[in-house]
Order: sequence, then C-alpha cells, then structure tokens
Amino acid sequence: MTCERVFFTFEITEDSHLLPAYRKRGGYEALEKAIRGMQPAEVQAEVAASGMRGRGGAGFPTATKWSFLTKDAPVYYLCCNADEGEPGTFKDRWIFEHSPHLLIEGILLACYALNVRHSFIYIRGEFDLSYRRLMNALEEAREAGLLGQSILGSGFSCEIIVQQGAGAYVCGEESSMLSSIEGFKGYPRNKPPFPAVKGLYQAPTVINNVETLATLPWILTNGGAAYARIGSEKNTGTRLFGISGHVLRPGLYEQPTGYRLKELIYQDAGGIAGGKALKAVIPGGSSTPILTAEEIENLTLDIDSLAGAGSMLGSGGVIVIAEGTCMVRLLQVLTRFYAHESCGQCIPCREGTAWMNRIVTRILAGKGVAGDLERLEGITVGITGNTICALGAAASMPVASFLQKFKHEFAYFIEHGRSLNDGRLEVKL
Amino acid sequence: MIEFTIDDKRIEAEPGETVLQAALRNGIEIPHFCYHPCLSIAGNCRICMVRVKGRPGFHPSCNMAATAGMEIENDCAEVTAVRKSILQFATLNHPADCPLCDKAGECRLQDYNFKYNGSPSPSVDPKRRQSKFYQINSRIMLDRERCILCSRCVRFTNEISGSGLLGIVERGSQSRIERLEQGGVEDAYSDNIVEICPVGALLSRDFLYKSRVWYLEPVTSVCPRCSRGCSVNVWRRQKNWQLRASGKEKNLMAYRISARKNPEINGHWLCSKGFDLHNLINDAPRALTPMVEGKPCSLDDAIAAAQRLILDTNKPAAIVSAWASNEELAAFKSAVSSWLTVYSGADQEPEADEVIEDQLLIKADKNPNRYSVEALFGKNSFAADAGHDLVLVWGDNIDYATLGSAKVIHLTTLEPKAGRAAEVLIPISTMFERTGHYTNFEGKVNRFEQVFEKPESVQHAGDVFGRL
Repeated sequence: MTCERVFFTFEITEDSHLLPAYRKRGGYEALEKAIRGMQPAEVQAEVAASGMRGRGGAGFPTATKWSFLTKDAPVYYLCCNADEGEPGTFKDRWIFEHSPHLLIEGILLACYALNVRHSFIYIRGEFDLSYRRLMNALEEAREAGLLGQSILGSGFSCEIIVQQGAGAYVCGEESSMLSSIEGFKGYPRNKPPFPAVKGLYQAPTVINNVETLATLPWILTNGGAAYARIGSEKNTGTRLFGISGHVLRPGLYEQPTGYRLKELIYQDAGGIAGGKALKAVIPGGSSTPILTAEEIENLTLDIDSLAGAGSMLGSGGVIVIAEGTCMVRLLQVLTRFYAHESCGQCIPCREGTAWMNRIVTRILAGKGVAGDLERLEGITVGITGNTICALGAAASMPVASFLQKFKHEFAYFIEHGRSLNDGRLEVKL
Repeated sequence: MIEFTIDDKRIEAEPGETVLQAALRNGIEIPHFCYHPCLSIAGNCRICMVRVKGRPGFHPSCNMAATAGMEIENDCAEVTAVRKSILQFATLNHPADCPLCDKAGECRLQDYNFKYNGSPSPSVDPKRRQSKFYQINSRIMLDRERCILCSRCVRFTNEISGSGLLGIVERGSQSRIERLEQGGVEDAYSDNIVEICPVGALLSRDFLYKSRVWYLEPVTSVCPRCSRGCSVNVWRRQKNWQLRASGKEKNLMAYRISARKNPEINGHWLCSKGFDLHNLINDAPRALTPMVEGKPCSLDDAIAAAQRLILDTNKPAAIVSAWASNEELAAFKSAVSSWLTVYSGADQEPEADEVIEDQLLIKADKNPNRYSVEALFGKNSFAADAGHDLVLVWGDNIDYATLGSAKVIHLTTLEPKAGRAAEVLIPISTMFERTGHYTNFEGKVNRFEQVFEKPESVQHAGDVFGRL
C-alpha cells in the first residue's frame, strides 16, 4: 500500500527539529499561504473537507468541534492538549522532539481560522526534552517573525503560551486542563457549560490534541480533499500508532487509518517477542477495553471498526500482550494507576477506583474471596456514567473487559491463590 | 415560566433555575449532599442524578437547567439503583458510627442510606482509618473518616466567609479536608460549616456529646447580639424527654443555637457570637430577687418603694433598653413616658477582640432593637448634668456612676455591677422568656418565641410599668 505521510516525511538528524531544516521541508508555507491568501472561514472549510477526526481519543470531528464555538464572542482561546498521559501512548512526544515547528505552525493556522489571539500549550510535566525543544522552537519562530506581533508582516498576531503540567493524568481531561492552566487544582468541571461556550477564563475555548493540530499544515498545503483520500471513508488521514509490549520492534509507526492491526503487529513491529503467540491487545491506550487474539483477526485500525469490536481506537497506543502473561497482574497495574490518578472530586470515581484496586491487589496477593468478581463488576457498573469526567469510565472499562474475557484466570487465582500462568514469564527478544 | 415534569408531575421553574432548585421549591425531594442554595455548584456527590426522557444516561439535577417540556424521572428503579451504588461508594470508608455521632438524626447520609440503600456494604475489606477529632480551630473539629468530601465547607470559607480556612489537599482516595496555612485560623462564621456539613464530619466542640438531637426541639428566636437581629433556633429539651430527677437544670438549658433560614435578614448564616448565644442564656448571672437599697425584699415592697420615689421626684428621667421588644416599648410609651424625660440606652457595647462590623452580617451596634427605641423616643442619650433627680433605668450593664447623684430604679435581667446599689431594683425577664418582636437596623421586624418559663420572682417589664 503506497501511502502519504504527514509526519514521517524526513530523516531524523541532529538538527532536523530546528527551524532551518523545517523550512527546507516546506515549513511555514501553509501558514504564509493561509495568512496572505485565505479568509479564516476558508481555512475552516479546508479542515472540514479533510474530514479529520480528533486524535486525542474521543475521535470527534475537528471541524465540527470548531463549529460549536459561541459566535461573536470578544475573545476566543485555543488550547493544545499535550498532557499525553494515557499509558501506552507516546505520539505527541515524537512531534515535540522531532518536529516542534509542525505543531507551532498548526496552532497558528488554527488560531487564524478561529480568530484566536492567545493560545496555550499544556505540556506534560514529565516531558523534558520535548519541553526544551518546544521552547527552543518557539524562540526560533519568534525571532523569524512567525510568532507574536504581526506574523509575517500581516495584521495577524498570535501568542503561544506554554504551561507545564505537574504530573496529573486527569489534567489531560480537557476541562481539568483548563482549571490547571488557570492555576487551580486540576479538577474536571461539570458540563454544561462546555468549553466551546465557557472554557478557559470563561471564554469560548477550543481544545485540540497535538497530533490534530500538527496535521493542519499538511491539510492546508495539500488540500482537505487530498487528506480525505487517505485512509478509510469516515476515518480519513494517517495516524501515529505507538506500539508497545511484547513485540520485537516497539515504537511509533505512521499508517493510514483502516490499516490492519495484525499487519501493524506482525509487519511493522516485527511480531511477538520470543516467538510467543498473541494473547490479547489493548488497542488504544490503557483505558480502552482489551481485545483477545481472535477478536483482532480481521480488525482494521479505525474508530468505527474498533467501536464495532467493543473497544476504542483511543489515542492509538497499542499494547500487545503475549501468551503466558498473567491478566490479574496486568489488571492490577492498571487499577493501581487509575486509583492513583483519580482526582478525588466525585464520589463514585474516588471511592470506586481505590476499591477496585484494593480487590484486584488482594486477589493478586492470593487472598481473593468468593464474590470478588461480582463485586468488581458491580463497581464498574456503579462508576460508569455517574462521574463528572471520563476518568471513571476509563478506569472501569479495562476491569469490565478483563473480567469479561479472562474471567477464568481471575476465578483460578481466587480459588488457588496463584496464577493460572507462569508467574516467572520472561519474554526474551 | 418554564413548565416541565418530574415523575409526571407538572412543575414550573423560574428562568435560570436548575431542575434540583425547581424540585425543592415545589416540595419534591431529590437527594443532595454537595448542593447548597448559597454556594456554587460543585456537582461532586452525584446523588442527585435523575433521568431525562430522550437523553441517554443519568444527569446530575443540580447542574441541569430546567427547560420547557423536559420530562424528568426521579422516582424510578433505575435512578434508585444509581443512588444506591453512589451510597455504597460514599459509605465504603465511612465508619457508620452513628450511635456516637452528634449528627445522627439530622444526617443526610443516614437518611438517604435508609431510603435508597438499606443493605449492608458489599465490601469485605477493612475501612480506611483516618484522623478523628482533628482540630480545625478553637470551635470546630473534623472527623475525616466520616467526611464524604462534598466540599460544602471549602466553598463556604472561600465564597461566603472569605477566610479561605479550608481546602482539599492530595488527590484521589487520599483527598482530605485540611486547614490551609494561608487561611486565617479564626473565622467569625466558621460554625456555619458544622451546620452545612451533610454528614457528621465537622463537629461543634461546644455541642460535642451534649445531647442526641432527637431529644431536642428548635424554638424560633432572634439573636440579640447585634442590630442585624438574625433569625435563630434555640434548641431546648423536648417536653417528652424532660429529665425528672438528676440533671433537672437541663430542662431549662439551651443546648445549642442554629441559624434559621431567613432570606430577608441573615440568609442561611449566623456568626460565632450568635452560635454562642446559649452561653448567654445558660450562664449569665441573673438578677432574681427584687431589692430596695441593696436588700432583698418582696416585689410589692420594691414597687411601693419605687412609687414613693416617683412621688417625690421633681425631674424624673428614664433610660430605655435597646434590648426591649416592640411590645414592651409600646407599653412603656403608653404607661409612663408622659411624665418623664426619655433617653435611649445601649445595653451592650462591643467587647474586646470581637469582630465589630463586617460586610456579611455583623453590625457595630450590639443591641437588637435600637431602631424601635429611636423611632419612638429619639436619639438622646442620658446626660448627668441635665439635673435629673430620679432615673428609671431599664436595661442591663448600666454603671450607676454615669447617672450622677440621681436616685435609681433599675429594671434589669442581670445582676447589677458591684458598688453603689440602686435605690430600687426589680428583676425582669429576658427575651427568651417571652414572645415579642425586634426591628432590626434596616427596619425589618422579626419575631421571637418564648423558649423557657420565666423564674417566678422575675417580672415581665411590660407588666411592671403599669404599676409604677
């Protein structure tokens, strides 16, 4: 399959992330084209024509999201959500480290389209190299007249303000990210009002993922229609898939949407390490429901087909699990993560995530009792849909799907006090 | 007006009202912990979830604007199931120590648990232990095990009292209410957080273990400690639960004070001094026996002595109490004010280290009814050089030295100050021993009910005037 690349278009060298190299690749031409020759509405129309869906996890069409903004507000804000916290996901980091100007250009394009004068990048606190490269790139862009007052000599001015996170997963949720940018504790807000109506500092706010924004220069250069031709009909374009776990070549791969998951695992990533069989795949970051080897047989990587399989494409972080892995231990890693990361604002998530973790940890310690599995299922039902933000659902989806698909392993662990699998599993490369 | 239905009952909501507000105003009960009409919407307790016909899932009614034609389901099996699971989460680490919790009997968690949950906890794990009896300030204690983190207290100290006393620190299940360092320790309104706490987490140190609330009953009253005249409830022992043998004095004791909702005057709140009102009721040294020249006598003797003084006088004056009710002031005006010069008095001056005045409730004038006194008798205050030879002093805390050489007939509730004795002293009842009205500094009239019977040796001031 020949396919266009949006991100992997250049060879990574020592200075490929700097402005001169980016300019050589045709960087900031899309911005110049838009500012000099297009109206903001035309930029929006181009994005709408591309049919791009947001890359953050929910897969909401970007142009539709933009259209929800309150009309005729005095101030709009744009926030770039770079708090890439979902375990298994590492795509935004690549963009920051190797092509930060792509993101800056994308943000400026979005700001131009949406009449935004101040935009924010909320970057994950643990990203160090990313942060340094981003700040360096912003400095370069400012010196080149690409950022700040009167960009490229036009009347358009735009500032990009970078805010570092402090290590909270929940701040990747859009409304808690806004709270965090404003300087408050990262608590998600009740919706309504939605950010498109009342977001950052009470102004209408658009929040887009890094990958979404970094795609805009390509769309403006080549046209929305060209982008829409890539991938499948309702899931246009390419995606960055981060594949990790028991594969020979874990890493980041750019493929058009609609790419086969098996191909990603066995061709791009080189197959399962140690010659093991495939046991299960978490297809889109740790919160998406797990899929067994049989379920992914003919699965393609796009939002709708994964939804059809009962899971989600999420942020494109594929976690591959080889045969012999203890699912109880794996689930405990996940429940511990969510119990630790729940913000503690609303009752079901605060108590429920900790409770699930407690039960799974107890099972793992060989002290599971009869009724634990029903209890866990009851907790997932009690959390899902009853919380302020999606973290509660994100925490209960893996538990529910693990129990649904690997119940026998949990039952065995409770009955015998030890794993059905070899606890000393080492998957050698 | 927006018309919508809750469980097929038609309801009218004001524009901008939420479903929960409209329901509560129309007497439909939707359970809620974190919602409070005076505080911002937190939406964190998730117990007020309802279903909306035509929309998937459940929605918190506290954060849902009522729209025309909305069909809300509040009382159905699905909603009850959601509330049940929320309560299971809320009580997961709650110690359920209701038998020794002061809040039992007026606790939302207890009530809702009975109504919507009613089954033992599905958890087999031990509950999390946290600090109990944590001192928030000199008046309030926090039991962290009972706390459900509804954040009402945090929002109160941020939004209403403005002290920033409390905050939630840490994250997830480690979250806890903490006294913040940047907040002042003292908060003149901090006792309100005990009242708005929906569970027994915040406890009044004063009321701690004093009584079960179901032995008590509230009586409507007015706080006399400043000219705001906040509506309060004075809690006394119920008739059915009166003690017969030991501890009989408790039957005449005010157990605690709570704020009584009065949107015109004090909203939902009351200051610490108002919450301390029961100390004034219980502990103030009362004048109980009539006296002539400092010697106890019968009431008739005291009145006869007063009458003799009045017959002899050339230039009598009266100082009127700003703690008197409107009814007493009217009786005074018709009975005696015609033949003497009337001055207005101030029974209470601000005490040391108390908040003199602020933006919320507290007023600088520490008397409840000066408005009526001044409306009836003017603003003149007593001057010793006016040459009065007899002063009828009505009110407490008068220093006779300020009256010059004039003879004194004193109507008081409190023991007079040491030193010179009044020529005649007639003890009178306090405002808690009679019914009446106060007019506050804005001219708003507020009624108080009789809380206790007056001691037999004490007279209502209004009855005395006619006999002088």
